[in-house]
Amino acid sequence: MSESIMIIGAGVAGINCALNAADYGTKVYLVDDTPSIGGMMARLDKTFPTNDCSICIEAPQMYEVDNHPNIEILTNTEIRKVKKTDASFKVRLVKKAKFIDEEKCTACGACMEACPVAIPDEMDGKIGGKRKLIYMPFPQAVPNVAVVDPECRHGKMREDGACVGGCVVDCSQCRECPIALCVKACQKEGKDAVRLWQSNKNLNLEVKSIVVASGIMDAKPAEGLHGYGVHQNVITNMEFERLMNAGGPTEGHIIRPSDGKHVKKIAWYQCAGRGLADGVPYCSKVCCMVAAKQTIITKEHDPSVETLIYYNDLKAYGKGFWGFYEKAKENGVRYIKARPYDVFEDPETRNLTIRYEDVETGNLMKEEVELLVLSTGLIPSDRNKRLAKVLKIELDNLGFFKEEDPMMAPLETKAKGIYLCGGATGPIDIAESVVQAGAASMKAVLRIGD
Amino acid sequence: MREDIRVGVFVCDCGSNIAGVVDVPQVVAYAKGLPNVAFVDEGRWSCSVDALSDMQESIKEHHLNRVVIASCTPRTHEPLFKRNVKEAGLNPYLLEFVSIREQVSWVHMNEPEMATDKAKDLVRMGVAKAVLLEEGEEIRLPVKQECLVIGGGVAGMTAALNVAQQGFDAIILEKEPHLGGILNKVTTVSHDQNEMAAADIVKAKVDLVETHPNITIYRNAAIEEIEGYIGNYKVTLKPNGDGPGEPLDISTIIVATGMKEIEPEGFYGYGTDPRVVTQLQLEELLRNAECRMPSGEFRMPNSECRIQDVVIINCVNSKNETRGCCNIGCPVSVKNALALKNLKNDIRVHILYRDLSMVKEEHFHLDAAKEAGVKFIRFPDDRYPEVTDESGRLCVRVHDILLGREFTIPSDLLVLTTAFKGDDTVDEIKGLLKVSASADGFFQEAHAKLGPVDFPADGISLCGCAKSPKNYRESCEEGIAAAMRVSIPMKNGYIEAEGIVADIDLTDCNNCGLCYKRCPYNAIKVVEEAEPAVIKALCKGCGLCAADCPKECITIVHYSDEQLLAQVEAALEEEADKKILGFVCHWCALGGVDMAGVSRLQYPPHARLIRVMCSARVPIRLIERGFELGAAGVLVAGCEFPTCHYITGNYACETRVKRAKKRLAKRGYDPEKLWNIWCSAADGPKFANTMREMATQLDLV
Ligand SMILES: Cc1cc2nc3c(=O)[nH]c(=O)nc-3n(C[C@H](O)[C@H](O)[C@H](O)COP(=O)(O)OP(=O)(O)OC[C@H]3O[C@@H](n4cnc5c(N)ncnc54)[C@H](O)[C@@H]3O)c2cc1C
Ligand SMILES: Cc1cc2nc3c(=O)[nH]c(=O)nc-3n(C[C@H](O)[C@H](O)[C@H](O)COP(=O)(O)OP(=O)(O)OC[C@H]3O[C@@H](n4cnc5c(N)ncnc54)[C@H](O)[C@@H]3O)c2cc1C
Ligand code: SF4
Ligand code: SF4
Repeated sequence: MSESIMIIGAGVAGINCALNAADYGTKVYLVDDTPSIGGMMARLDKTFPTNDCSICIEAPQMYEVDNHPNIEILTNTEIRKVKKTDASFKVRLVKKAKFIDEEKCTACGACMEACPVAIPDEMDGKIGGKRKLIYMPFPQAVPNVAVVDPECRHGKMREDGACVGGCVVDCSQCRECPIALCVKACQKEGKDAVRLWQSNKNLNLEVKSIVVASGIMDAKPAEGLHGYGVHQNVITNMEFERLMNAGGPTEGHIIRPSDGKHVKKIAWYQCAGRGLADGVPYCSKVCCMVAAKQTIITKEHDPSVETLIYYNDLKAYGKGFWGFYEKAKENGVRYIKARPYDVFEDPETRNLTIRYEDVETGNLMKEEVELLVLSTGLIPSDRNKRLAKVLKIELDNLGFFKEEDPMMAPLETKAKGIYLCGGATGPIDIAESVVQAGAASMKAVLRIGD
Repeated sequence: MREDIRVGVFVCDCGSNIAGVVDVPQVVAYAKGLPNVAFVDEGRWSCSVDALSDMQESIKEHHLNRVVIASCTPRTHEPLFKRNVKEAGLNPYLLEFVSIREQVSWVHMNEPEMATDKAKDLVRMGVAKAVLLEEGEEIRLPVKQECLVIGGGVAGMTAALNVAQQGFDAIILEKEPHLGGILNKVTTVSHDQNEMAAADIVKAKVDLVETHPNITIYRNAAIEEIEGYIGNYKVTLKPNGDGPGEPLDISTIIVATGMKEIEPEGFYGYGTDPRVVTQLQLEELLRNAECRMPSGEFRMPNSECRIQDVVIINCVNSKNETRGCCNIGCPVSVKNALALKNLKNDIRVHILYRDLSMVKEEHFHLDAAKEAGVKFIRFPDDRYPEVTDESGRLCVRVHDILLGREFTIPSDLLVLTTAFKGDDTVDEIKGLLKVSASADGFFQEAHAKLGPVDFPADGISLCGCAKSPKNYRESCEEGIAAAMRVSIPMKNGYIEAEGIVADIDLTDCNNCGLCYKRCPYNAIKVVEEAEPAVIKALCKGCGLCAADCPKECITIVHYSDEQLLAQVEAALEEEADKKILGFVCHWCALGGVDMAGVSRLQYPPHARLIRVMCSARVPIRLIERGFELGAAGVLVAGCEFPTCHYITGNYACETRVKRAKKRLAKRGYDPEKLWNIWCSAADGPKFANTMREMATQLDLV
């Protein structure tokens, strides 16, 4: 019987679950289908309710995972097949090529400098973030190695100026590349770590239990919602989070997409999209505190910035959260109970005029702001459906993983030996994710429920 | 020069990353001339597999007994080189890391000569420290397998079950005659779309703990005394309760003392008018068969009048200056409103609220309540409802902000959703365990996000409503998590601390007590004859005590005063007036420095940085020494508030820097030349800007 466990998803929940189990003495495979561990927290600026810097507290844990003798990290890796036997799971995984020799790459960046194509970053595109076709997921990434965009390797970026593609033979046929600038730059550095010819690798594991920690995603608003996608200066709270972040594309300058101007007046729309067919139908728990945090940090950057929060019900549900909200108010944030109507853009200034109903007075009001932030909420990982199918467990009607007996056996699923933690269970904050990670690690190392 | 010390210096090119800016051969030649250096090597990629094995060979061949590696950053690569040195047969504490990529080549790209000079200085500082390095070792403290759980509510019982499941012993201490805590009074427990009778939950859990062979339960019990630390507690119980007379041998402790409702004395006639009750009292009424009339109507016990109108007021003494959201009031009020409706559909129920804090699936209950006819009225934050007694009936006047008008609602039963506080025994327990709690008696966890069920000291955990009000599910989850946290050392049989720990030499100690009062981890205990002693396994090596001790009795392994002083002196050996001496904490400030490097932010090359684990490690005497040696300026950089890897080190540092400024002024140095910044690991720009500002203000450019 196998004594190891597998954790799917390496956000703060997966990482803490892994550290607990590994410290306990259990061998852990920590799997993430993106190129680095870290999850959502690696992108955040500060974290409510104490405003600890997110990467400052997460990076040490990421390094600990990296150096832990009991943890094996498998990034860029997908779960393909899971076969349950009496006491264990046989798992087939695919490690998708990063087109990099992870042993050799030292993240020096020579390849990125050489790459001729910069495209909008997945995460930061809207606020001006760019990345090369060979790139680092983020500076503190673990493993700390570069990744090649598969689109480039497949020749699909030729029109954008990519140096490779259009060859007679496919990259996988070659063992060296006389064309690719990244390959050459890396060779020049003496590393030769870029391997455009690398192929996906199959892996087989046997584990006694599995923890699903596939987390959450920030919901993207429907095109046109409060002007999103139509007016440049309407962004989501995740995009704003990146804007505040000293490690983000603007180095923490709160400037707006349309003209790069330092913003002096910002409004937040809470529960954006709630009640609409394509909006998030439930309360995501964290957005009220996220908005409070974002206004506090904004004021720290520049106390003269005017901030308004249009909200419905305030959720200050956790320890220290109310004080945090009070702090935001003390800092001069205006909280307005409101129902949003519509948003217009001034074609000249690109400022936005928002119309809303003030719930307390019933009056229709108008306000002009320079930037509008939509708090859209947390949705399940878009890979949950596939993962549930592979693991043969169920999702609830919201798309999060379902517990078999939430009252008496929390975090357990209908499959014995498969447990849940963090955003996989529903909208959640960091502290709660860490609690669940602790609980799931206990269940996983003992294979509780058997 | 010490004859027996043979330092090996390994300078890395990092391809062209370092060598493209720094003249590495020059640095190598320079290093060869430094005292005690027996071997210097230039590596193209020192971290590559080949280079690592070459390094091992060189260590053996040249009998090196200290190693300096000059390359990228210790934050990512120190563990790798430590392992390598160890594999070469050397104690890993004999390695010193010098950062000439993040701190030199990446940030001074346009000034190759100054960069090379800086790299030489950093190597000299590294060698100066390396000469003084001493062997260290991980420290282990044995831990056995007895866990004490204080509090027998659902959190405590769940924790005990998970501990016991591993074959460890769990002792549940409950001060009441019954296990189950709050749930003994609650009717049903609802969560998301599920609901269960509280009595069934309690029964199921109590059955499990009572029949578990590894669980011992002492009811009516109270703690008299707790002595010791992880692996080593002696817990004495008060004589008048259950449990043995002699002290219990305990390895780890879980605190699960739960919470109590705050009696809303003075609010809306509570305490004098029997028609005004709390949610918990309503739950008790709902559980009480006496409250049903034969006809099925709801009544107060011993009353012949049926209850027709119920008004629930939420946030009665919460969400104000003293106290936050009670966390569970909204869902509890909705649950109880529904229960009343289910009992008798014609009972009119109003919930008066400020914000409805219902998340995720709790909204479905809200919809169900609305469907059942429960009326919701939202009142303004600053205008609470008023209650009067009109001809024997309670009348509630409330302003409905959604409809913009005033209502008067009659009420036979007024239910107040009140706030919570920790158990009455919290003050006592907090003193016994040397942990902190809030004004309302909720225990303070080690870290609001990453240590939610931990206390700062190893071996004690926290769970359930003892930390803050929460629902049943969360209480159970925390119980399991707390069990995991204390099980790790019990499973391993020991806890291990890195060798970077405090060491006290008592020769000059005058027992001022600063060290054991200030240690954030309670790692210094007063032993026989009232002398302080470090419990090494508990010490995290922040160095706060060492910097505070007025008699300089305390040293930190790997960061001794002597070693830091050697670095200071080496940094300022030449052209001190052109140099900024910097102390940066490992966790955040150095992260900011590294981030500036990774982002290739260019700044003036005056800084000579010395790494400390925590900014609290930096004593005033070292800052002063910097000025005595003629430094242009001194920088102390720690984590941004409130983050600190050692809980409060940066706060200690801040006060100390203020004192240092006063001292400097008295001694005729310009206190403005001492800078103190708080820099997050993401904030490369902040560090780079500080360097620019310092250079300008200190007239270095
Ligand atoms: C804008 C914003 C601001 C926030 N601010 C705060 C804050 O200030 N304080 C706070 O406490 N919380 C905050 N949160 C919430 C916080 O981000 C989450 O609580 C936390 O990230 C949840 O951690 P997790 O590990 O469960 O999930 P994630 O961080 O989402 O990690 C999940 C990981 O699983 C991986 N994964 C997903 N599916 C698969 C699969 N099928 N196979 C393999 N891997 C997979 C993902 O790649 C990811 O790495 C914020 C959220 C948002 C959106
Ligand atoms: C009115 C009301 C309704 C609720 N309804 C719901 C609901 O519908 N759904 C839901 O999920 N949750 C509900 N809850 C919350 C739920 O009851 C709690 O989350 C849960 O019971 C907390 O368990 P606990 O073990 O942390 O604390 P407690 O139940 O308070 O247990 C603590 C125990 O520790 C003992 N103790 C304290 N100090 C000491 C000491 N010094 N030495 C020894 N023993 C000590 C106490 O006597 C007590 O037995 C409700 C709570 C209330 C007040
Ligand atoms: S601080 Fe120094 S002098 Fe004071 S008690 Fe501790 S060791 Fe002794
Ligand atoms: S170094 Fe820090 S943790 Fe260790 S004894 Fe001193 S103050 Fe306590």
